[in-house]
Amino acid sequence: MPTLTLNVNGVDRQVTVNDTNIPLLWVLRDHLGLTGTKYGCGIEICGACTVHVNGQPQKSCDMDVTSAVGKRITTIEGLSANRSHPAQVAWIAKQVPQCGWCQSGMLMSVAGAMNAGHHGASIANEVNNVCVCGTYPRIKQALVGL
Amino acid sequence: MDTITSLPRRQFLGTTAGAAGALATGFSGVGGLTLGLVLPERAEAAGSNAGTTAVNTWLTIGTDDSITLTIGSSDMGQGSFQTLAQVLCEDLMVDPTRVALVQGGPTMATPAPIGSAISTGGSGVVRNNYWKMRDAGAIAREMLVSAAMARKGDGTRGNYSVSNGVITHTPTGTTLSYGAVAASAALSTPPASAPLVPDSAFRCIGKTFPRADIPSKVDGSAVYGLDVRVPNMVYAVIKHAPTVGSTLVGTPATPSGMLAVVPVKIWAGLGRGGELAGNVNAVAVVGTNTWDAWQGARRLSLRWTLPANAANLNTARFFADAQAAMTQAVPYTAAVQSPLGSLYTVEAGAGDPVGQFSQAAIKLDVSYSLPYVAHAQFEVLNCTVDHVPGVKCEVWAPTQVAKSALTIVMAITGMTAAQVKIHTTLLGGGLGRKLEVDFISQAVQVGMALGRPVKLMWPREEDFAHDQYRPMALMRVRAGMSRSGTIDSWVYRSVSQSIGAQRGATLPATGDGQAFEGANALPYNFGTRLVEWVKFNASPVPVGYWRSVGASMNTFVVESVIDELAAAYGQDPYQFRRTRLSNPRWLAVLDAAASAAGWNNALPAGSARGIAIGSAFNTIVAQVVEISGVTTSSIRISKVTVAVDCYLPVSPGGIEQQITGGVVHAINATLFGRQTFTNGAADIKNFNRSRMIRMNEMPAVQVVILPAPAAADRGMSIGGIGELGVPTFAPALANAVFRLKGTRQRSLPFFPNATMSD
Repeated sequence: MPTLTLNVNGVDRQVTVNDTNIPLLWVLRDHLGLTGTKYGCGIEICGACTVHVNGQPQKSCDMDVTSAVGKRITTIEGLSANRSHPAQVAWIAKQVPQCGWCQSGMLMSVAGAMNAGHHGASIANEVNNVCVCGTYPRIKQALVGL
Repeated sequence: MDTITSLPRRQFLGTTAGAAGALATGFSGVGGLTLGLVLPERAEAAGSNAGTTAVNTWLTIGTDDSITLTIGSSDMGQGSFQTLAQVLCEDLMVDPTRVALVQGGPTMATPAPIGSAISTGGSGVVRNNYWKMRDAGAIAREMLVSAAMARKGDGTRGNYSVSNGVITHTPTGTTLSYGAVAASAALSTPPASAPLVPDSAFRCIGKTFPRADIPSKVDGSAVYGLDVRVPNMVYAVIKHAPTVGSTLVGTPATPSGMLAVVPVKIWAGLGRGGELAGNVNAVAVVGTNTWDAWQGARRLSLRWTLPANAANLNTARFFADAQAAMTQAVPYTAAVQSPLGSLYTVEAGAGDPVGQFSQAAIKLDVSYSLPYVAHAQFEVLNCTVDHVPGVKCEVWAPTQVAKSALTIVMAITGMTAAQVKIHTTLLGGGLGRKLEVDFISQAVQVGMALGRPVKLMWPREEDFAHDQYRPMALMRVRAGMSRSGTIDSWVYRSVSQSIGAQRGATLPATGDGQAFEGANALPYNFGTRLVEWVKFNASPVPVGYWRSVGASMNTFVVESVIDELAAAYGQDPYQFRRTRLSNPRWLAVLDAAASAAGWNNALPAGSARGIAIGSAFNTIVAQVVEISGVTTSSIRISKVTVAVDCYLPVSPGGIEQQITGGVVHAINATLFGRQTFTNGAADIKNFNRSRMIRMNEMPAVQVVILPAPAAADRGMSIGGIGELGVPTFAPALANAVFRLKGTRQRSLPFFPNATMSD
């Protein structure tokens, strides 16, 4: 059973896995207890599992954990201290979430687009995460000013 | 909540806490005034009484000025906790943001009353509890003021005012906070009633307050069912028999690397259609993490005994049988259960509607069809169980029916209510799927077999393939018009499975109300009408409650056919409806939608609008859908305008969110949603073949809320909201497509073969 070192939210974490093909998503959720990252489809479509790898949005449900070794992994729990990321502030101000299941991934995609230099409404073009509650209009409102 | 309390049926409020001592409710911390509220709940089975004596909501005012509202319903994103709090706070006279909201659990009254399950469905949380919350707030306020009057030694009520939980003795200007008098208030007997704040002085109702759950949903800290972690927990993944009606052969060995393979059966009372109680229709594969268990489940080879007719369980056959049932169904009698279908008369107008139709000047005789549709709620089914034999069974579940969960866990474990603890977690969407407890019953079986805590998850593929679907349906409508355009005859017959009958309900003579809702009591000025429903018996597919249930099916057909009549008569579809409705509320809603949408404004070439109106859960909704083109794989929907009359809108922001959410749910279902079956096995297993719109496809949505009455009347029904964005969308879209393309969409979805990739 290999033991891997993952840098998650700025901290090196040791994880022992039975199967090196285990996707990063399940290591985050089950081994490390970082349950803010969600499972939606498992086939890289819906985006609920989006995290950052070296600052870039990455769907974690189909990413082998071994390919995350040596890279900086950021989850929703590590996006900011005290919900202070501008996207999180805007999400609260515009009261975006309904059920909330998609919102961790949604926020990580938005934050990733911001890292890549996108602003305001153009962020929406970079985000293809699925929300089934219908929060898209409020997301668009929240993007204004980011 | 540990409390197990039974109150006399007529006692709606009761104090349960003594002064400053330990609280009977199990709250830790300071003492104070606690009121147990008896809130009515939606009846789960057709015909059962919605009344209840189960105490499921608690208001506690602590001596430290804390105010806590414990609510027995579930939050699946609809925000109704916050809405209940603001209703309470109107008459309690405190700022709603001061109230701590706590998820309550189920209780068992003794003897257990019928229909007392804590159920979050039917768009019912706010509408069913509005007046109870108001009374509770007012009664608590007056108990606190009475305690302050005693403290001050001035018994003139008019000498006291209240603002944000502070009582002022106006002659002296001295103040007492609620907390300062909560302990003594707790010693008094609640009055039977207390004066309510007049509607004209509302500070909370009709306004939007920030939701307390939202911060936890932007930083990953919100705990949903699938996020529950219990010390020493292992992980189980479900693997069902692919074919409806199968049962396991033999006892599978545990593969290397796995902790266990646990066969699970369909518990008594949970059989649905061809999925028979007692069948072992699934196994749970247990490992040390979700992924390992899932891979173990994928590798596991199992043998199943299939139903004898498995080769006939195909979608095309279901529709052929439903078509046969449409023409051959025999009238229902208690003695005869036709294998094809039983005909129920829902509504029969005066005279001879069929004969009148045959003599009409303008005749329309059209058929519509609807597919099975999965819920596809975003958080897959899951449940965590910690079962300690003879001691306890603790259950964490994202459930819409905590009381049903309690009941089934007691049945499976043989434990008492005191030994079972149900934790209702946040729900990552429910959409009606989490009104079922099949997944809970499975997790309990696994927990009992393992003897250690376990979390059971359904992979997305299992969630799609073993749903309890919105029923497939066929409808035939015959409508006859005179040369002057009056609709003289309306003959509506639908064929669908009965959700209630699959749950053991005895149907009334008019049939299953949830099958024909949206088709009956239509306020159109029909000369005469006949509405019939055929209970379809020839499909074994489990069916269930899907956001807005029958209204989502029948409203599509009714409002499409009304549109067909308008076209046949050559009249504008909005004006056609206007002149055939006389109910003033329906007319106001129709006008509001048309006006806000700019119905009479010209559109650019290649664009069109469609309109539809309907009612469900006491709310009237009209939608105008504007489209700007149709491609081979989708329709460009540019704007959706929704007018809503729920009689008493409590939280405009919440209404706007929920209606918008309903529209999106309806867009996905109308354009893409269906489940099909081949040899008894579901074909569509993930979002790749059940497309959902993304942000770039989202239309603008405008929600127009009709204003509240000047003074709400307790005798009037408050309408629901959560499901109301759904029913009128599909017909409004289909009607827009007709106006643009001249083609009439009589079956859904529009794009059955649409796919989705990353």
